[in-house]
Amino acid sequence: MTDATPSRTHATPRLAPSRAQVRGAIGIAVVFIAWQISVWIIALPAYFYPAPADVAAAFVDLTLKGILPSYIIDSARRYALGVATGLTLGVMSGLLIGLSRFWSRLLGPVINFFYAIVEVAWIPLLVIWIGYGFNTILIAISYVVFFPVLYNTLTGVQTAQKTLINAVRTLGASRLQVLTSVILPSALPNIITGFRVGAGFAFRGLIFAEMIAAGSGLGFLIFDGATTRQTDRVVVGMIMTGVLWLAMDRLFLRPLEMATIERWGLVRAKGGGV
Amino acid sequence: MTAIREPKISIDGVTLVHVNEERRQEHVALENVSLDIGEGEFLCVVGPSGCGKSTLLSAIAGFMKPWTGEIRMNGKAIEGPGADRGVVFQEYALLPWKTVLGNVAIGLKYRRVPKAERERLAREYLAMARLTDAADRFPHELSGGMRQRVAVARTLANTPEIMMMDEPFAAVDAQTRLTLQEELLRVWDEHPITVLFVTHSVEEAVFLADRVAVLTPGPGRLREIVDIGIPREIRQWDSISTDARFLELRDHVMKLVRDPGR
Ligand SMILES: Nc1ncnc2c1ncn2[C@@H]1O[C@H](COP(=O)(O)OP(=O)(O)OP(=O)(O)O)[C@@H](O)[C@H]1O
Ligand SMILES: [Mg+2]
Repeated sequence: MTDATPSRTHATPRLAPSRAQVRGAIGIAVVFIAWQISVWIIALPAYFYPAPADVAAAFVDLTLKGILPSYIIDSARRYALGVATGLTLGVMSGLLIGLSRFWSRLLGPVINFFYAIVEVAWIPLLVIWIGYGFNTILIAISYVVFFPVLYNTLTGVQTAQKTLINAVRTLGASRLQVLTSVILPSALPNIITGFRVGAGFAFRGLIFAEMIAAGSGLGFLIFDGATTRQTDRVVVGMIMTGVLWLAMDRLFLRPLEMATIERWGLVRAKGGGV
Repeated sequence: MTAIREPKISIDGVTLVHVNEERRQEHVALENVSLDIGEGEFLCVVGPSGCGKSTLLSAIAGFMKPWTGEIRMNGKAIEGPGADRGVVFQEYALLPWKTVLGNVAIGLKYRRVPKAERERLAREYLAMARLTDAADRFPHELSGGMRQRVAVARTLANTPEIMMMDEPFAAVDAQTRLTLQEELLRVWDEHPITVLFVTHSVEEAVFLADRVAVLTPGPGRLREIVDIGIPREIRQWDSISTDARFLELRDHVMKLVRDPGR
């Protein structure tokens, strides 16, 4: 956690870059320098192999024209709604299948079958059925998030201890109260794991879906840049996807995981109830 | 000591069978047992491992229906689990993500007692269990003995009509166990309630109980019910362990357990 040198953590605990951050920055700088050197050595036209300066110029240009901000907003909106939908449906189905033998027997094989189909294989069909745009992408992303959340929720439900369930029933818990006070909290670490995995898949799914089925967004920027030979724009799109993913992982997913899994896991491992 | 009381629980010709649906197997755990538990009585059930003690308890709790016979509480057949029959489990069964206070208050929360009121009640029961300082800790931060006291406080805070305990002190060390037994009797004195206490330990049973029911090895049948006429005033280990009646009853019950008869 606190890699910074002791003397500096006391003086400026927040602002001082930690040693790990400094090293990470050096690593990225090395990649950029290597890229620039390779441009000099290979010496191809910029539309074929752009230099960092070309890409920076394209970035400024796209930002000033407002294209990049609006694409990022579009991508983020599709992503957030798709992930939220997939998460909700995944948790609900996981609970249904995990708690009812009837539904598990009915839906189990069907879900296994669909899980086996690679999600991007759906996109062409969805385009035919629904057309290009928001809904197709939303469905594709939900689909990707749905399965890992579902399977992890199922596992989580199964880890709920029978004794805990029996104990709260003797304390007067209704069925719904058993669900909210034992089964969901028991399954929460697994649900978060499923969410993290799904969120990662979904990000790739988003870029891919936007290449095929959208007229805006980062995936579209990459695809459109390539078809029009604006490779500097392609690279801007690529870098932005990486930056966005890193930002989301650092600012949202990891803190979430820290807050639940690590603390919960500790609590569970040491076992108040085991 | 053994005045005639209204039966709180009537176990009437009960046979309990574990059914394994997948393997289509049936296992008789308890056979034709009849036993009344009086209002306010402290009844201990002893018997060798596998004789069906836990099975009996789970049937009274309502997790299992009798194969034959009937179990009644206040004259009414038991339908399913309910807050009127509290259970203290051997493995504590505390919710790991709730504080001690949250655990003790949870039964009241299920019954929608307002937050301030249920916390006040929970703190009262925590004080009774000498756990006031542990209110904001999590179960994994407590010792085994403390966890078991939380479990007892949680059950009593829910004001059931009977408290059932399944080998509650089996997982703590011998010294703590003696303390917990004495504390249980102190608490029981303050909160008189019908208790059904299942244990392996004959000494523990004779120390705690008004009556001790001895079961035979599986399938369990009722061997004998022994009245423990030792006054409550001398139920501390210091005074009781040399008491002639205690030693005699202990040996008697021990003999019943060791030699299944028939
Ligand atoms: N779920 C179950 N399915 C099938 N048989 C079971 C089940 N639970 C218990 N039994 C069997 O029923 C009998 C009684 O078990 P029970 O747990 O009630 O015994 P016990 O007296 O509590 O034993 P112990 O003192 O070891 O806790 C045993 O032979 C056991 O194997
Ligand atoms: Mg048992």
